[in-house]
Amino acid sequence: MADQLRYDGKVVIVTGAGNGLGRQHALMFGARGAHVVVNDLGGNIHGGGKSSAAADKVVEEIKALGGKAVANYDSVEDGASIVKTAVDAFGTVDIVINNAGILRDTSFHKMTVDDWNLIVRVHLNGSFAVSHAAWPIMRDKGYGRIVMTTSAAGIYGNFGQANYSAAKLALVGLANTLAQEGRSKNVHVNTIAPIAGSRLTETVLPPELIEALKPEYVSPLVGWLCHEDCRETGGLFEVGAGYHAKLRWERTRGHSFKLGRGFGPDEVAKNWSKIVDFKDGEYPTNINESMAPLLTNMNSKSLGGNEFIDLDEASRSEVTLESSYDQRDLALYALGVGAASNPLDDKELAYVNELKGDKFYALPTYAVMPPMNAMLALAKEGKQPVKGFNFGFERVLHGEQYTEIKLPLAPKGKLKSTFRMKAAYDKAPNAVVIMAVSTTDESGEEVAYNEITTFVRGAGGWGGDRGPSQEVNVPPAREPDAVVEEKTDPSQALLYRLSGDWNPLHVDPAFAKAFGFDKPILHGLCTYGHVGRHVIKAFLDNDPRRFKSIKVRFAESVFPGETLVTRMWKESETRIVFETKVKERDKVVIKGAAVELYEQVPQRKPAAKAVAAASAPVAAGGPVSADVFGAIGKHLAANKGLGDQIKTVFQFQLKSPDSSWYLDLKSGDGAVKQGNAAAADVTLELSEEDFIAMSTGKADPNKLYFGGKMKVSGNVMASQKLGFLQKLDPKLLEDAVKARAGAAPAAAATPAAAVPSGPNSADIFAAIGKHLATAKGLGDQVKTLFQFKLTGPDSSWHLDMKSGDGSVKPGDAANPDVTLELSEEDFVAMSTGKADPNKLYFGGKMKVSGNVMASQKLGFLQKLDPKLLEDAVKARSSGAAPAAKAQAAAAPAAAKSGRGAEVFAALQKKVSGGKVGCGLQGQILRFNLKAPEATWLVDFSGKTPKVEQGAAGEAHAVFGIADDDLVALAKGEAQIRDLYQRGKLRVDGDVKLAQELSLLDKLI
Amino acid sequence: MKRRVNVIGVGMTKFAKPGASPEYYEMAKEAGTKALADAGIAYKDVQQAYVGYVYGDSTCGQRAVYELGLTGIPVVNVNNNCSTGSTALWLARQAIESGAAECVLALGFEKMEKGALGNKFDDREPPMGRHAQVMIDVQGISAAPPAAQMFGGAGREYRFQHGTKKETFGKISEKARDHASRNPYALFGQKLSLAEIMASEEVFDPLTRFQCCPPTCGAGAAILCSDEFARKHGISKPVYIAAQAMTTDFASSFDERSMIKMVGYDMTREAARQVYEASGIGPGDVKVVELHDCFTANELLTYEGLGLCPEGGAEKFIWDGDNTYGGKVVTNPSGGLLSKGHPLGATGLAQCTELVWQLRGTADARQVQGANIALQHNLGLGGACVVTMYRRD
Repeated sequence: MADQLRYDGKVVIVTGAGNGLGRQHALMFGARGAHVVVNDLGGNIHGGGKSSAAADKVVEEIKALGGKAVANYDSVEDGASIVKTAVDAFGTVDIVINNAGILRDTSFHKMTVDDWNLIVRVHLNGSFAVSHAAWPIMRDKGYGRIVMTTSAAGIYGNFGQANYSAAKLALVGLANTLAQEGRSKNVHVNTIAPIAGSRLTETVLPPELIEALKPEYVSPLVGWLCHEDCRETGGLFEVGAGYHAKLRWERTRGHSFKLGRGFGPDEVAKNWSKIVDFKDGEYPTNINESMAPLLTNMNSKSLGGNEFIDLDEASRSEVTLESSYDQRDLALYALGVGAASNPLDDKELAYVNELKGDKFYALPTYAVMPPMNAMLALAKEGKQPVKGFNFGFERVLHGEQYTEIKLPLAPKGKLKSTFRMKAAYDKAPNAVVIMAVSTTDESGEEVAYNEITTFVRGAGGWGGDRGPSQEVNVPPAREPDAVVEEKTDPSQALLYRLSGDWNPLHVDPAFAKAFGFDKPILHGLCTYGHVGRHVIKAFLDNDPRRFKSIKVRFAESVFPGETLVTRMWKESETRIVFETKVKERDKVVIKGAAVELYEQVPQRKPAAKAVAAASAPVAAGGPVSADVFGAIGKHLAANKGLGDQIKTVFQFQLKSPDSSWYLDLKSGDGAVKQGNAAAADVTLELSEEDFIAMSTGKADPNKLYFGGKMKVSGNVMASQKLGFLQKLDPKLLEDAVKARAGAAPAAAATPAAAVPSGPNSADIFAAIGKHLATAKGLGDQVKTLFQFKLTGPDSSWHLDMKSGDGSVKPGDAANPDVTLELSEEDFVAMSTGKADPNKLYFGGKMKVSGNVMASQKLGFLQKLDPKLLEDAVKARSSGAAPAAKAQAAAAPAAAKSGRGAEVFAALQKKVSGGKVGCGLQGQILRFNLKAPEATWLVDFSGKTPKVEQGAAGEAHAVFGIADDDLVALAKGEAQIRDLYQRGKLRVDGDVKLAQELSLLDKLI
Repeated sequence: MKRRVNVIGVGMTKFAKPGASPEYYEMAKEAGTKALADAGIAYKDVQQAYVGYVYGDSTCGQRAVYELGLTGIPVVNVNNNCSTGSTALWLARQAIESGAAECVLALGFEKMEKGALGNKFDDREPPMGRHAQVMIDVQGISAAPPAAQMFGGAGREYRFQHGTKKETFGKISEKARDHASRNPYALFGQKLSLAEIMASEEVFDPLTRFQCCPPTCGAGAAILCSDEFARKHGISKPVYIAAQAMTTDFASSFDERSMIKMVGYDMTREAARQVYEASGIGPGDVKVVELHDCFTANELLTYEGLGLCPEGGAEKFIWDGDNTYGGKVVTNPSGGLLSKGHPLGATGLAQCTELVWQLRGTADARQVQGANIALQHNLGLGGACVVTMYRRD
């Protein structure tokens, strides 16, 4: 250990060893036991001349130091001869120092081909030739060290050294690959960029610098890199004047353009500052690391888009807007689209006279107004109804409109319109986007569907699909079956705009001028209403209820006061193609247009189906824990004997929403049940979400545990046996989800599955929780703790109505007054008023133990507001937490206020008597309470002890403790030492003072 | 008949962080080659090999020593958690002492993964289930790495009993880093101030990040032989093993609801007692100690377990500087597990290597002046503890 690094018996080739660095390397190796081949051509620094003198002299010097050396006078381009000299003299070669070099400095514009070739030959080809000849020997023996000599000129560039810079940096590349190829054979290749006073630099550096840059200051690094103990390979080092440092590549975080988006030089320029910002840079060390960000970006393929339209975001967007309307809106709209211009036309009065009762009809084209108006309201805030549409309304032209009536519109209603992007076409430089809007009424049934096609000026050009260009609804080449001609009123736009479209283009002459129109134009949708009416008039005898849909393209603007001529062709009993012209200008203003009719007036669907529709999203929403446990149950049934293998009872306490389940795998086939096990081996606490992720293989249980997302108590090692969870057949889970959604017949062991389309017990308990929260004080009235044990599927709940408002929780109560055992089905029936509790009891379907009379107090169950239950079912369907909500609602308001103050008040009382243990005399204690947060200072340093809340100041010991734990301590229910050991009491400062906390004991 | 057992050759690799080391057999080859060269013998002279590692499939030991030669000798794979290396040493010593062999190689290596230790086999009862149960009963379970919870919990228990300052634990790491800065084989060569150590992220109160040993890759080796073999090979005044003992858990590990006991305090105490008795050397005679400082808390406990200071006296011992150069005894001159690193299988042999260098007076900047007696302590949860007394006349 104390000895110097030695190279005894190692055979070293040093090229260019007659002078300077090479000579110094050779002397160092020679002095430390190596056998040295001293190669030197004996030329001058420009590559001219040849002599043996320089090499011979160094050989003599080495011998004088007691070393072994031979000379070689070959050019490095003849590497094989140099290696042969080594093998002939010493039998092998262990170390190659590629050092030989010359200069042909000249600025690039004066550089000759010879200048270039000579430098490349000596530096690059020479280092290659010697290394290449030594390589097989080193590989065979499993040992080798090669050093390349590069230069700062290569790494950074240097005026007048283009040839030299290029050749020198080429060596770094050579070394990088040789290091990788040699690694497994213990052949290490490193590169140095020395700065030393040598024949090559003495012409450019002042003498005093040359002195500081002795070659002696470079050789030690070469020595270490070539020692057998050195593991370094592929390294690049700067060395000189005693300074040693390693270089590496640094790369900026950079910027990745999403693939699928067009990007050109403009985008590169825009992101330039990010591309060149080295903040948070990284240091790739190999090709794989180099490729990593690129591969990541390859997986981020975008649907496309640009600054105006983000197709990725838009394709995910789903925005629901609310609106309402009544008879007045319908009538105003009808007037706006020219209806009842003849106030004696009884048939058109049907659109404006609400006093006609069920003969008062909404014009079908009104169905476009609720979504349109909701959208225009958003537009006032500068927002779009589809996220990812980042263009302003000023770019938008309404191109086409399709409206489909699903149900005849009621005289009034509250509607919800859900906007999605149906398609976006790139008609570079412009874009066409189609929004699909589904409108539902209060019952949730769809009443209308619209497609709004808009032309967006200048928003195209992302390289996407141009979309269909085919003409549709082309009129046949024959005379129309009907023609309606109607002159619009000069003030038509002013009337129409009262239905909601506030665009000044239709009312402000100056504004219209600015847009190139002589006067304000009619709204496209106003024309739309007119032509819709024309079809109804011509083919439905003004009874709009069989009107199914209308599709038009807006071809030209219409000015108020112009005459519309709509020509219609009946293509079939339910389809009319039409086209509208402005008579005065003979211009087609509406084309590609058609109306479809229903054969019969559509009817509202029966209510039961509406419920099914409402519960459908449950199935789409992915599995819930009940599904997973259902699937586990099936898994256990299919994989007999798992209990015998695993021998463990697992208790799961899931949160948000809260539920309890246990897996009894103690013996036999095992079983899965809701509620709490009597004796669990291990208890796992985690969120519903993480549980699902874990069970579907999306989260690693160990990571959840170490990440603190899963708490494990009991035999923590047993939790390792849960691996089988991740092997659950996805099919089983799918079935469980379907079963719950009611699509599969019976059997799955989940509560939801047992009552596919209605409420389940969890819903009922959630509803009870809400009931308790609103009824207030029911606990004080009822004074009873009810335990429910439900079967088929099994679950356990308790209603604590002992005092206060009462609460409802899953699992078992410690001391129930009465326990009711019945089936899930009967419980649901009982709670929804469909079964009489007394009949269930006497019929033996409900077992009651404990205080039987107390069960009589359950009457309130039958008075549950059905609305609460409905809400609970909905909350469950939308993934919200019935149990959690119930608990949150039921939680008494006092829970968060904390009782620490009570403890300190008692402490104040106690210490004001002046009796304090001697260990506390002179001490100041701070308590930092959590849940809720509070800080207290207890000061025994003065004459009278002080207990103050929120006081500042230094303390000898700081105790961090939860309010609950402090209270437990003061009640004598917890021990200081135990809290400390469990990390529930944190002590900073003088830990001895923790012992003195015994003064809190039995304070309250 | 018991024979004297000499340690005639030692060697180790520079310890490296996970991912930065060569393959395990290459590390083993390097350590083994160095030990053979140090002893000045050829591999053919080795009659048995005991090879320790924790992470690896069966017979990695053979794969490793085959790099040194294929002489058909018995090769025994050894796995004893963190005390694996010294368990290999214990078996090698036993082979020589009993006369079963003349020259034996004890080798240990480890190629570790990043991050905290964990179980590799999740389909069977974990070996430390009973230990974990004690911890769960006493303090529950948290998200911190399990080993940190165990040793940190022992630190809490000690701190509560003795009113120990948190900085006292940090001080041990400051010393370890200082020692390691003189050790070219150490993983962490940079000194750290007490402030830096205390300010590092809290892993498990009272332990901060810089008070936990890092996962490490490396190898160590030792050649043991009989007096006759040493004489035949012209080796004079070798370091020898004055006494050695191994203990495993006593009932106190599980019955006393004590974290200090659960992490093997009584294993340490009993092994040390046996060694002091067999060697006739007491803790006061020891000049230099390599002990198992996987966490600062365990080094503190071990001072008392080995009797280097009285029970409850560790805090004073530390602040008086009695655990470093110029004090009563130099503990972990190598930097210890905390700073040199802790490749599980190699640790026991790296400790042995350091102490042999110390006794030969070749420990360079780390040399403890006048070191003629040295003590080694290597502990594994699960559990096993090996204590060895070395001497050079």
